[in-house]
Amino acid sequence: MRRKSDGKGTETTARRPLENESRRRFIKGATVAAAGGVAATGTLLADINGGAKAAGKPIPIGGGVPLTGWAATDGIEFKRALELASEEINAMGGILGQPVEPVFEDTKEQGAANIIPAMQRLIDRHEVHAIINGYNTGAVTAEYDTIADAGIIYIHHNTDIVHHQTVGDNPERYSTIFMGDPAEYWYGPGLLQFLNDLDANGLYKRPNNKIAIVTGSQNYSVVIANAIRDSAAKYGWDVSLYETVVIPISEWGPTLAKLRSDPPAVIAVTHWVPQDLAQFMLQFAPTPTNSLIYMQYGPSLAAFREIGKAATDGVLYSTVIGSLQDKIGQDFSDRYRAKFGDSSTPAVGAQVYDSAHYYAIAAALAGGTGGPGEFDQNAKIAARLRRQIHRGVVGTTKFSIPEQAAIPYPDATNDPSLGMPHQYLQIQDWQTEPALVAPSPYQTKQFKMPPWIKA
Amino acid sequence: MDTFVQILVSGLTLGAMYALSTIALSLVWGSLNMLNMAQGALLTIGGYISFAAITYLGFPLFLGLVTAAGTGVLLGLAMYFGIIRFMFEKDGFETNVIIATIGLAMMMENIVLKAFGAYPFQQPFAVDGGFRLLDVHIPYQNLVIIGVSVGMMVATAWLLGHTRLGRAIRATAQSREAALLNGVPVRRIFAQVLALSGLLAAVSGVMLSSITTLAPTMGYDPLLKAFIICVIAGLGNVAGALYAAFLLGMFEAGVQYFLGVRFGFPALLLLVIIALIWRPYGVFNRRKVARL
Repeated sequence: MRRKSDGKGTETTARRPLENESRRRFIKGATVAAAGGVAATGTLLADINGGAKAAGKPIPIGGGVPLTGWAATDGIEFKRALELASEEINAMGGILGQPVEPVFEDTKEQGAANIIPAMQRLIDRHEVHAIINGYNTGAVTAEYDTIADAGIIYIHHNTDIVHHQTVGDNPERYSTIFMGDPAEYWYGPGLLQFLNDLDANGLYKRPNNKIAIVTGSQNYSVVIANAIRDSAAKYGWDVSLYETVVIPISEWGPTLAKLRSDPPAVIAVTHWVPQDLAQFMLQFAPTPTNSLIYMQYGPSLAAFREIGKAATDGVLYSTVIGSLQDKIGQDFSDRYRAKFGDSSTPAVGAQVYDSAHYYAIAAALAGGTGGPGEFDQNAKIAARLRRQIHRGVVGTTKFSIPEQAAIPYPDATNDPSLGMPHQYLQIQDWQTEPALVAPSPYQTKQFKMPPWIKA
Repeated sequence: MDTFVQILVSGLTLGAMYALSTIALSLVWGSLNMLNMAQGALLTIGGYISFAAITYLGFPLFLGLVTAAGTGVLLGLAMYFGIIRFMFEKDGFETNVIIATIGLAMMMENIVLKAFGAYPFQQPFAVDGGFRLLDVHIPYQNLVIIGVSVGMMVATAWLLGHTRLGRAIRATAQSREAALLNGVPVRRIFAQVLALSGLLAAVSGVMLSSITTLAPTMGYDPLLKAFIICVIAGLGNVAGALYAAFLLGMFEAGVQYFLGVRFGFPALLLLVIIALIWRPYGVFNRRKVARL
């Protein structure tokens, strides 16, 4: 059984949407549509361009990303992804025959003090027609007014529920601003539904209804922890521990002592720093409890497995945006690694890559791009983006209205063709890539019982 | 009983980490009246040098530690010859050096970022395995850092109290002018103390990163904790810093278990406030006694 939602948190139960047969059909259809390489959009953009070659004055497309500072590793992937997408767009004739040219400004340690000036420089100095970013943290939509004043298209992946409130409350003012991924809030109810699905499908029989929540002190972690806590009762769970840790943290002894004194069925750690989470697993492993362990974001980085090694086998995590492990996603990863090397991380770059492609299509369909101050043209592109459904390397992107944020599947829609898959992954062997265990139809492997759980 | 042992082990581990963070800062603060804001960056570079020597150059573990220590000495000397010698005889040294070392720290952190990236690495200088005490697993590495932290503190205290160099450092700490008049080569003492502090910081960085992780920003938190311990122990009181580090580690672990992890750090800050009101010269310092 699976939850059915109207996208506003009202859920009922419904039959699991796709069984194996329809799963195969869905994947096959999507793969055909993708024409085996640059997602379906590639063909579409080339068709709109009518065979035109990209020539003439380039259209500047901005990336305000952290190229230095603590998030530089991800920021460099965002830069690479925009460069790769731009090359591909130009190979298809650019946008109505005009090439796109990526330009970048460093948001450094992020926060409003760095992000707003970076956006301002992109607009004033480079006169960009759109800004397509990965994530920046700490500004909490403070940069939106800078964008709204210029009227250009802004697509980011800040995974921030505040976007819903800011744009939802004032959709006219912020009509050109889109969040290309679902808000972090969805990690909460999504996890609880995933756990209930495991139970319903006989993959994990929980020994009790207790869930322990361990969160970091950053807004991202707290929003997710609170979403789990506030939704727990509705999904049949009791919160046995809600612990906030101060980061960075490497000594988990007191927290583990509490968990061991009252073992829960599930430990959900919403603190996200990979090295801290790896230390948790290293200290948990010698004296484990019979609990599933779910962690936020950190396990998606190879550093988590490299530091925690075999102690990380069995850990679950999820992401609301990332390249899929299907043919479309794999082809993208291969192209990305071929260009940027084996140490590059296409899973991180995927978000910017997809957004650049669907922006190019929307702009081409709207009759061209619009620079700062060209409000009418950008309004046409924004209207096109609101109507558009895009199947890219991260799955489907469709924006909710009026929030203009990607709709998550199956958290807010039970139709995979209308929502971005909220992917659940499990580290089954720390020396290989994690397995995508949900949602159907994208899953590639079955959930495995963690090695520390005794039957 | 298991819970008590777990808190004890966590407290000792935290205490050792705090002692490692504090030792070099306390030495420089006490002897040179210099608040070295680049202390955290020195820890970071020490950790990375060990990592690079072992991982990229194939050095044995111990040689990796020696390489890090040697680099720390060179960095300490470079800090003296490149910055400090131009400043310490001028008015406003105590304030100016804070600004200068903040800039230095930013530069060093960004060099590490450029050289190694923001990706976290595991420190290869680590001892695997552990043993059980009741039902609590105690990693050998935790025992190593407890031993090294105590050893470094005791060695530094011995050097200051029982050697010719230590006497000269103490004389400089009490009165730079008087020491100079009595033939103490103050400039050389400055260089030697900074070289020694670089060595201690680098070794501490290797130890800390062995139970945390290597990251360009790994020095921030130890620097903050070191300030707290120095204030509570008494500025520049090296021996007092050792006691304070372990007492505060035990205190924090207890607060984390009984009140919640989030209250651990605020509780330390509360102790600082109480210490500043009750004994502003430090819990382990006697009134009007010179530093060290």
